[in-house]
Amino acid sequence: MQSVISGILVGGVYALIGIGLTIIFGVMRIINFAQGELLMLGMYATWIVFSWLGIDPFLSIVITAPLLFLWGAFLQKTIINRVLNALPQNQILLTIGLGLIMSNSIMLAFTSDYRILTTSYSSSSFSVGGISISQPLLYAFLITAAITGALYWFLLKTDTGQAIRATAQDRDAAQLMGINVKAMSVLAFGLGSALAGVAGALISPTYYIFPQVGSAFTLKAFVIVVLGGMGSVIGATLGGLIIGVTESLSAVYIASGLKELVTFVLFLGLLLFKPSGLLGKTRA
Amino acid sequence: MKKMLAPALAALSLALPGAGQAQVKIGFINSITGPEAPIGENLTNGVDMAVEDLKKKGVNVQLIKQDDTGKPQVSMSAMEQLATGDEVAAVVGPYTSATANAVAKLANQYKVPQVVPAAAKEEITRQGYDWVFRLNAPAHQYAQSLLDAALEFGKPKTIAFIYESTDFGTSVATAGKDYAQKKGLKVVGDEAYQKGAPDYRSTLTKVKAANPDLVFMVSYVADAILLMRQSREVGLKPQAFLGGGAGFDTAQFESEKDISNLVFSVTQWTPESTPGAEEFANRYRQKYGKKPTYHAACAYAAMMVVGEAAQKAGGDRKKIQEELKAGKWTGIMGEVDFQDYEGFTNQNKLIMPVIQYQGGKSVTVYPKQLAKKKAVFPFTWK
Repeated sequence: MQSVISGILVGGVYALIGIGLTIIFGVMRIINFAQGELLMLGMYATWIVFSWLGIDPFLSIVITAPLLFLWGAFLQKTIINRVLNALPQNQILLTIGLGLIMSNSIMLAFTSDYRILTTSYSSSSFSVGGISISQPLLYAFLITAAITGALYWFLLKTDTGQAIRATAQDRDAAQLMGINVKAMSVLAFGLGSALAGVAGALISPTYYIFPQVGSAFTLKAFVIVVLGGMGSVIGATLGGLIIGVTESLSAVYIASGLKELVTFVLFLGLLLFKPSGLLGKTRA
Repeated sequence: MKKMLAPALAALSLALPGAGQAQVKIGFINSITGPEAPIGENLTNGVDMAVEDLKKKGVNVQLIKQDDTGKPQVSMSAMEQLATGDEVAAVVGPYTSATANAVAKLANQYKVPQVVPAAAKEEITRQGYDWVFRLNAPAHQYAQSLLDAALEFGKPKTIAFIYESTDFGTSVATAGKDYAQKKGLKVVGDEAYQKGAPDYRSTLTKVKAANPDLVFMVSYVADAILLMRQSREVGLKPQAFLGGGAGFDTAQFESEKDISNLVFSVTQWTPESTPGAEEFANRYRQKYGKKPTYHAACAYAAMMVVGEAAQKAGGDRKKIQEELKAGKWTGIMGEVDFQDYEGFTNQNKLIMPVIQYQGGKSVTVYPKQLAKKKAVFPFTWK
């Protein structure tokens, strides 16, 4: 039970990273391999506002999210829009390159030192019926749930949200209907980046911050998105939770060192039997 | 023009050392960038200080630094370059166990004296390599010192091991399990983890369920802080937390007062170790603005030993090797004497001190002759 709970809590944050990636993929058909680096930028932004201005990591998302949104939108407008119709491998190389530039610039500016955020609740937990629930993880999970909820509402109910979904469904048809697909791409990339930034902010009280932290999360985000079905927001949420719980359970019942192995075997199994992911639709 | 410049420079470089004191070329391989860089920095600082001090002693060292980024394959090509391209007289480094072990093979092959300053993996000096010397104590000493200390302070009966699945982690943990069993402790937990994972809670919960008297953890850098934080979250509360050096022996860990309090760690060196150690620590603090870790001290001592030996032998590799084998040095690490014993070759015998964090400060609590304060046992969360 304990491991299921902590798996779900960690999985929530994984889901947030995955949702960002899946929105970008849905709208632009580009797999953003710099997603982890965007998360890393979010962590550094959080660290800066925490250690220089003393703003709590969880509150700082009101600063980091818009900041990362602008950065993502800027990247999309100036760089990624140019390769929308290029070969997929070129798009992948571009985003990998962008990621490398980001992580190495941060290394130049902040050195490769590990940084740790220590808040008053960093190692506290609630105890409910013999199960301990990590306070920072619980807060992170609640914020994730709120943000995911708001995102659903935005995508389903608002005009802009519907325009984004329309672009994701069929780019050409959307354009014919008078939707500015380029603007939607900028919006989607900004949104995806902001979500990565928020995820970074949310895990920074429990994790450590260093320039290369992104690569591990990029891989995780990719697995989550493919597991849930490329382009599906609900799929990404589900994928994040599944990965979180699987890791947690396999660490307890198999071996801590093998938890990643179990995750990837599961992933491989899914690819063999349902290549489009749990909730994915095969592309027409 | 360029063609003429090169020979001219070469001639100049040949002529110059003759004018002053003889120069010895020494290679230094270290994790200058990459995930182990935060600890690597300490080694670089220590070596730089040693080069200055050697100069004062009339030993003019030309240091050739190589970055291995913490990866064995990179450190191997660095060693090839130093041995064949730069033709150094000897090599100090690399830092991590995995890289030092990979380089040791090449050192023996190219017949270049290598002095390992801080890597703990047992095998490094257990393969009969004549050209490989190790200044720091090997992995079993980490476990031995810690367990001896714990058994002196209390009467623990069970122990659990949590360690990262790297050369260093498994090496220390394996030695620890052997020694624990020899001492009559029951091993109730044996958990290897993948370093850099954000969540160790499930592993720690599993260990908590086994209810061990001692928890022995081995990690590099920041995982130590995460492990202790999450131990507190899940309510793991043994009689003592034993940290196997590295991540548990950093200024960062020390400064996390809430979670470092009463944790034990083993170390290769403390500023209280030897008479000259305090002075070294002060000078280091003045120069770099922070406390030296044992890595800095080990690297400093290793460079001093290599520099002096190389000077005496006039830069000849074979003579340096003989010099290292036969000589004895006294410095901030106490006496350095490379010996063959218990299957080790060219291994310096070093008793590792055990420290305990008390209110955000590390104090030496074991062995008795070095202890400055009484150990607090058993462990309690604040």
